[in-house]
Amino acid sequence: MERTPIVELKNLSKTIHGKKIIDDVSLLLYPGQITGFLGPNGAGKTTTIRMMVGLMKKSGGDVVIDGQTLSADFEEAMSKVGVIVENPEMYKFMTGYKNLLHFARMHKGVTKERIDEVVRQVGMQNRIHEKVGTYSLGMRQRLGLAQALLHRPKFLILDEPTNGLDPAGIREFRQYLRMIAETEGVSVFVSSHMLSEIELMCDRIAVIQNGKLVDIRDVRETRESHYYIEAAPAEKAAVLLRTAGFETEPLESGVVIQAEKAQIPAVVQELSAEGLDIFAIQPHRRTLEDEFLELTGGGQLAETAAK
Amino acid sequence: MLKLLQNEWMKLWSKKGTWIMAGLMVILILGLAGIMKWSESLAGDEPDNWKAAVQGELEGDKASLESGLLKGESKRLAEERVMVNDYRLANDTAPLQDISREMMIYDPSVGSIALLLTVIVAAGIVASEFSQGTIKMLLTRPVKRWKIMTSKYIAVLLFGILLMLIGFAVTILSAYVLFSPGGGQALAVSGGKVVEVSVWSHGLYMLLLSFANVIITATFAFMIGSVFRSNGMAIGLSLFIYFTGSIVVALLSRFEIVKYLLFTHMDLTMYETDFRLNDDITLPFSLAVLAVYLVIFLIVSYSVFTKRDITA
Ligand SMILES: Nc1ncnc2c1ncn2[C@@H]1O[C@H](COP(=O)(O)OP(=O)(O)OP(=O)(O)O)[C@@H](O)[C@H]1O
Ligand SMILES: [Mg+2]
Repeated sequence: MERTPIVELKNLSKTIHGKKIIDDVSLLLYPGQITGFLGPNGAGKTTTIRMMVGLMKKSGGDVVIDGQTLSADFEEAMSKVGVIVENPEMYKFMTGYKNLLHFARMHKGVTKERIDEVVRQVGMQNRIHEKVGTYSLGMRQRLGLAQALLHRPKFLILDEPTNGLDPAGIREFRQYLRMIAETEGVSVFVSSHMLSEIELMCDRIAVIQNGKLVDIRDVRETRESHYYIEAAPAEKAAVLLRTAGFETEPLESGVVIQAEKAQIPAVVQELSAEGLDIFAIQPHRRTLEDEFLELTGGGQLAETAAK
Repeated sequence: MLKLLQNEWMKLWSKKGTWIMAGLMVILILGLAGIMKWSESLAGDEPDNWKAAVQGELEGDKASLESGLLKGESKRLAEERVMVNDYRLANDTAPLQDISREMMIYDPSVGSIALLLTVIVAAGIVASEFSQGTIKMLLTRPVKRWKIMTSKYIAVLLFGILLMLIGFAVTILSAYVLFSPGGGQALAVSGGKVVEVSVWSHGLYMLLLSFANVIITATFAFMIGSVFRSNGMAIGLSLFIYFTGSIVVALLSRFEIVKYLLFTHMDLTMYETDFRLNDDITLPFSLAVLAVYLVIFLIVSYSVFTKRDITA
């Protein structure tokens, strides 16, 4: 995807009390692309996002949004951005509609019709004139999405947006994000703990750990084909596979190899020719979780999963 | 900016508390008038002997002037009282009666109630955005922080003005409904001469003077609220200052520094009474001191607010 990036993080850093919380993060985000932002608890996702929208001052580096440097022209840069930082807190004593009206007034050119349109898009038309204090968490999330979309941002930043949505809501949300990314060319940057979520939704993921960006990759790339093979004796099978040129990785009582479908019959023949007992050969889908684990280490993932 | 102000105004009046405060303003003023009416009925119909009272005050002032103990503003005030009282006796002009329609308008007591209620709003207008967590929604808009701050400050001032006006309107209403005209004429010394003063212009002038206190105390609350993000602390500290100010002045009155303390100047209505916290201060001096404090409070509020990292 060799388009011009809409957002550019240049060597972004944040130091609090002498501790480097964000360390030299550089990242390009492209229009029409959904980028997932992954990292264990305390990795610095929220801090990065807060710096990207001017809630926190950066200690070093720069954020450029559609050609405007955030620190130089805050208003121009932010007019392109829609944000949800963690839970979208609204004014509970006002109706959903008044909340939207409130935020609409802070942008240029958001009409009443546009507010109504967004309300329909997030499916809130039945409850929009009730006080936000009476809303469920999922409804508040929907309203949060609505306020982020009001001004048709070119760049949408979401920090754990699906927290509190029901499965149908999550799917709708995912489809909606895909839709605005594809049809309106919005660039979406979404942090989440839910790896399966990110995997389904994103084109690309950026992984952060201890304040450093450790990996950026396309999600499609990770969809290589792997096979799980269980044969006895296991050691002999592993040796055979390695001499045949496969990378082997032990899993449960067998091994996982990376292989194309067309290679499998040859593998089976070879194994049986050597007199091995084959118990199972099945495609093995490496999930994002496995890769994430690999990248960031199990201990911290356990922490993430426990949340 | 107008839209931001509209937002603040909408948020303010969407809260039940604001309506309760406005209602309280009306009820308290009515209550005050009621108490006055009641005390009037207790006083009974003594024959009005203003001449004797004026004569007494005149002699007292002359005696203290001759003793040479008075100086500064106290001396000037005594001299003016002598002029006015001489004029009253010479021209047979009675003063306003203590409890009368004219007196209520001449000296409307809305300032302190408006102050308390405005302080509550000023304390919460920034702090509550933090406690509700809405601050991050508010500050991720294409609007610079100082503009948001300004809209909030203006909203506070407008609320203060509105309360003063409501209070004055209710005062006028109750003055006309509850009290009968008492006759008499307010006098003042202006340019070395005794002149007649209209109760209306004096009433408005008193409102203006007491509004200075509303502004400075509310700005203080605004500052504490935005620096410490705590509503309660802002209200507490502001009211503490409001109530203990004159005690502090009294304790420190021997020192020169008292002239430059905020407390000494908070209540400008003292310039329309015979009582001064300090003999060396004048209205222009007080206004200058208040202005300096006001600017300091605002600089602190703005600089903390615009620089702060939002982690709420
Ligand atoms: N104001 C602060 N003072 C000191 N340390 C802070 C401050 N804010 C954040 N941190 C630290 O910065 C690190 C990154 O925090 P951040 O909230 O960005 O993590 P995160 O990736 O969003 O985590 P989570 O997945 O739990 O949401 C943490 O170690 C946190 O303790
Ligand atoms: Mg976070």
